[in-house]
Amino acid sequence: MAVLKPILYLLVYPGLLFLFIYSTFCEWFDRKVYARLQNRIGPLHTGRSGILQPIADFIKLMAKEDIVPEKADKVMFSALPVFALAIVSTAALYLPLWHYSSDTITFNSFPGDLIVVVYLLSLITLILFLAGWHSTNLFSMIGGVRVLTMLFGYEIPFLLALLSPAILANSWRLAQIAQFYQKHPLLLLPNIIGFFVALISLQAKLERVPFDIPHAETEIVGGTFTEYSGKKLAFFRLLSDIEMVVGAGLIAVVFMAGFPGGLILGLINFIIKTLIIIFLLTAIRAACARIRIDQMVNFSWRYLAPLSVLQLLIVIFLKGILR
Amino acid sequence: MKIVPFLPELFRHLFKKSATVKYPFEKLQVPPGFRGTPYLLTDKCIVCRACERDCPAEAIEITSVAEAEKKFKMIIHNDRCVHCAQCVESCPTDAMQINSEFELAAFNRHRLKVEYIYTKATVKPKTTEA
Amino acid sequence: MPFNVPIGPQHPALKEPISLRMTLEGEVIKDADIRLGYNHRGIEKLAEQKTYIQNLYLTERICGICSHSHTTCFTQGVEKLMELEPSKRGLYIRTLVAELERVHSHLLWLGLAGHEAGFDTFFMYTWRDREVVMDILEIISGNRVHYSINTFGGSRRDIDDLQKQKILGSLEFLKTRTQYYLNIGTTEPSFLARIAGVGKLPKETAIALCAVGPTARASGVPRDVRRDDPYAVYAELPFEVCTADSCDVLGRVVVRVKELFESYKMIEYLLKNLPPGEIKVRAPRRVKEGEVVSRYEAPRGENLYYIKSNGTDKPERLKVRAPTLANYAATIEMLKNGFVADIPLIFAAIDPCICCAERMVELVDYRTGESKTVLMSSLSNRPFSGRETRFGKQFSSQALSLKKEVAWPF
Repeated sequence: MAVLKPILYLLVYPGLLFLFIYSTFCEWFDRKVYARLQNRIGPLHTGRSGILQPIADFIKLMAKEDIVPEKADKVMFSALPVFALAIVSTAALYLPLWHYSSDTITFNSFPGDLIVVVYLLSLITLILFLAGWHSTNLFSMIGGVRVLTMLFGYEIPFLLALLSPAILANSWRLAQIAQFYQKHPLLLLPNIIGFFVALISLQAKLERVPFDIPHAETEIVGGTFTEYSGKKLAFFRLLSDIEMVVGAGLIAVVFMAGFPGGLILGLINFIIKTLIIIFLLTAIRAACARIRIDQMVNFSWRYLAPLSVLQLLIVIFLKGILR
Repeated sequence: MKIVPFLPELFRHLFKKSATVKYPFEKLQVPPGFRGTPYLLTDKCIVCRACERDCPAEAIEITSVAEAEKKFKMIIHNDRCVHCAQCVESCPTDAMQINSEFELAAFNRHRLKVEYIYTKATVKPKTTEA
Repeated sequence: MPFNVPIGPQHPALKEPISLRMTLEGEVIKDADIRLGYNHRGIEKLAEQKTYIQNLYLTERICGICSHSHTTCFTQGVEKLMELEPSKRGLYIRTLVAELERVHSHLLWLGLAGHEAGFDTFFMYTWRDREVVMDILEIISGNRVHYSINTFGGSRRDIDDLQKQKILGSLEFLKTRTQYYLNIGTTEPSFLARIAGVGKLPKETAIALCAVGPTARASGVPRDVRRDDPYAVYAELPFEVCTADSCDVLGRVVVRVKELFESYKMIEYLLKNLPPGEIKVRAPRRVKEGEVVSRYEAPRGENLYYIKSNGTDKPERLKVRAPTLANYAATIEMLKNGFVADIPLIFAAIDPCICCAERMVELVDYRTGESKTVLMSSLSNRPFSGRETRFGKQFSSQALSLKKEVAWPF
């Protein structure tokens, strides 16, 4: 019996099945809100008000022909989407949703797991670069190079912004951070600058407008995903969705005091908080144009990094006062 | 430098009715005078062949069926028609008319061709074409 | 280390096929080469087989967005050959549709500029407001695209008072929306970052490379056929030529939005001063011998037609020089020393209508890469059966008066 709970955790909730269903729901939400902001309708006919549309897209892509370029390395080319999906699902394990403990060390909660989650999310960026490189296509190469260049821009503000509430909460463990802020909700307010910096950096990590430079449709055809088709492309698209859920969940844990309340209430908490963050991300997506890669790096080092350092200073100062 | 200057307009759109028309479940009305498909009023045609000459897409074909009884056949090739309504303008007796139908999709282009078999009328043309 | 990137013929940035080969060094473009011909439809040859009335509709279908400009240019030229003075009311209606077409084309272009920059919301909003113009055109002419309102001697349809009221009402709505888009386009920081300083074309280069239309006007060259060589009723219509001084894509956005405001004023003037009378005059079927050059200010620039007639009811030669063809040389100049990320915006800023511009065919020798221009007469002399080789049919050099064997590209 004791071995059943971790297996359920890994496969059903909040493991693979829950991630699949919830991330497709979040993609539907994102598309619907984006459409409404532009005075359109969005997905409509598949399922009630289009809610099954992302699942339909996934199934359609799985059924299409899979083409591997002649000069590409077959093993790497085919293995990369699976690696990426595995990595992002592992990152989702550490969100304190259910069956976690803040005292003993278990497989899904240990001191330092905040850093592990951020590391896993950066590993995905490296995999995207490798995907672009192994496609042996000029456009994919340019896309891959751009992915790495963007990493230089947003990674440091992202990490610093996430670390500030952790420093205030005295712990590097996601479950403990959430618990700390559940006890002292007022201490969420000094972290507001970090919240916005993390939000913008998450938009860059997810490669959405205004930062969707690596797969800018009108410039380099498909960027890193140009040569992918069929099942591999289905996995990459699912990767983007799950990355969105994990990123939003991470920000919700660190900046919005986690998901208290056990199984049912915790789930409702999770859904509401992640949907708020995804709504903000979609609003940013609808309101901006795509900027160039050099402008993006310029922007991150000129505005985002100093703001995150400022947030860190505020937290250190506050900690000194509170002591 | 303003930050996202049109955010209020964006959010206002969340509450507006969408600009999309859910075609084909809801259809828009076309205005009168819309150039749809041409058709023939067979009791007015005097077979002057002005429409056949002037059609830019060669979409009107008039052949004689029976010489003695003055029976003619006109085929309107709706798959070639460009909906310019020049035939309506060239016709001296108002025999060619145009309606408002535009939903002409078919699986086989030959289904779109319309045939008329009629006898030549003896209507006086209103204006003489050079 | 320079390497070549082909943009096109198939590319999401281009709405129509054209091959731009860029030589890149890193992210900077060193050189660009434009290859045309993917959209060639043989319209000039077809026009010689059809009568003048049929050619009215053929020339209209050269392009969808600037269809009225092609047919009006043709009609003007032929009316000159016929020595026919069109009716005043017909000319007013022609100019009204011309200005409405300019409005719809510029709104379309604003949306496209937003889409190429990744600003999809702007794209959706401008195209939604463009529907108002399309509905007006449908009410006046019976179709949303390809209005077919011209005929020799005037126009085919009349405008009654109800339609006039509708148009005037929609103009108010369009004015407020255009003012809003001007604000957005010039103050939204991410959009501005993409279009300011991009695609610079200095004034002397614009004049030297014969740029036309808003591309030239954004570099401060006040060239407008409506002012320089008035046709239709532009001689008595009060309007200003809109220019900008920034010589970049932002300047072109500003010029087009200013032209939108000018068009609204012109449409109001035309509607309020519509003269009474017949809408058309009788036109002869056969046209006297002669040749004529007709010019027209299309939304993209100067449209030029050369028509030669020989006394029958079919033209002998029709030559079309669309505005985009004149802007290609300026585009190559603009692309040099730009970034790869700016290619779609620079190319979209000249408002490319590639199907308008497909008029020449160059034969390229695939072995040496040399291109030769061949006269039509020598093409009609060659025998049609050639030797089938691995690379396609090759024609014997005796039939051609050329030194090397050439093969059809692709």
